[in-house]
Amino acid sequence: MTTLAQANLPAVMHQLTLAHYLFVSAAMFVLGLIGFVTRRNLIIMFLCTELMFQAAGIALVAFSRFHLNHTGEAFVIFVITVAAAEAAMGLALVVLLFRRRESLSAEEWAEMKG
Amino acid sequence: MDQVISPIGFYLLLALGAVGVCLALPRKGVNPQPIGAVVAAAAAGLVILLLGLRAQGHLPNLWFYVFSLIALGASLRVISHPRPVYAALYFILTILSTSGLFVILAAEFVAFALVIVYAGAILITYLFVIMLATQAPSETQVEARADYDAVSREPVAATVVGFILLAALTTMVFRGVPTLAPGDPSAIPDIAARLPGRYSGQGLERVLEDRGMTAHPIGQPAQTGAPLDDAGGGATRPYPGNVEQVAFAFLAGHAGAIELSGVILLMAMLGAVVLARKQVEMGEEAKRAATLSEGGG
Repeated sequence: MTTLAQANLPAVMHQLTLAHYLFVSAAMFVLGLIGFVTRRNLIIMFLCTELMFQAAGIALVAFSRFHLNHTGEAFVIFVITVAAAEAAMGLALVVLLFRRRESLSAEEWAEMKG
Repeated sequence: MDQVISPIGFYLLLALGAVGVCLALPRKGVNPQPIGAVVAAAAAGLVILLLGLRAQGHLPNLWFYVFSLIALGASLRVISHPRPVYAALYFILTILSTSGLFVILAAEFVAFALVIVYAGAILITYLFVIMLATQAPSETQVEARADYDAVSREPVAATVVGFILLAALTTMVFRGVPTLAPGDPSAIPDIAARLPGRYSGQGLERVLEDRGMTAHPIGQPAQTGAPLDDAGGGATRPYPGNVEQVAFAFLAGHAGAIELSGVILLMAMLGAVVLARKQVEMGEEAKRAATLSEGGG
């Protein structure tokens, strides 16, 4: 198995690995977005936001590896922190809403207007 | 863009992936979910393989393909599985393979933090809430799936818009990537020199190379055998480990942000307790069940 480190690649190929990771990140982000828009279950909508967090994390870590700057990895830790806080608040809200309507459907709450 | 992958084939594959995702979303009646999943997975795999083929045989790392395909397939299942518990379990699979990608990128600390915090804590909370908030199927009700789980809202429009976004995003990414300059590896020994303590032996590098991973930045050929820093009075200092480097980045530049994230976590905890403790008037049936259990117990 040839790793990138062992292969003596021409200049264009060096950046290819970054493009790999960025494609995976973009595809995962778009999957999360599609899920957020199409699914009608509140919990799955929250799961899809977590999926988008994950995608952003892949891009951040890939860039931090590419630029040899560990701030990207440190930022992923903060993203995980915010995701934990968001999950706690969101799930508390979901439990509250479920107790009121006995349903997880997002459309139960269509009459909420801001 | 031309340097990385041919645009026409790439957009065709994206359209194929869009069709697959659209078919894979849950719907009533005829359910072509497996076909859609296969089509989408084939499209994603072809895109990633095409990116690899342009590397003329120098594949970046075999595990990259394994982990990224598992991650994308599992995230497709997250958004397409009609049962929330399974969606959460597939999300755990996504997290595990994402942390595999992070290990390939030599970001071990983030990978393990991801497994512990996400798969270990956050997703367990999700599973608890899903199980709390999903009614068990009764004998009279054969179709256990709720309607809001079985039918997705506007699958075609959402998929089209999402994949247009993906096409725009990847176009910009692939155009921009070849002009980016990779980082300077000479910065790493600087960090090593500023860290306390001496690093003797070349353990980390050898371990990483044994595992076929890059102990080196993306795009930098390995300088095997060369001491990374011999300014330490005769004793060579190899790479500081990933944990040391992340810790350095953390404490040197983001001490205030750590305090702030502690405040955020505290506020989230308080908010969650306040929200979840709110009293909601019980329905008639629940009241009767409560009095029954009190009398019986």
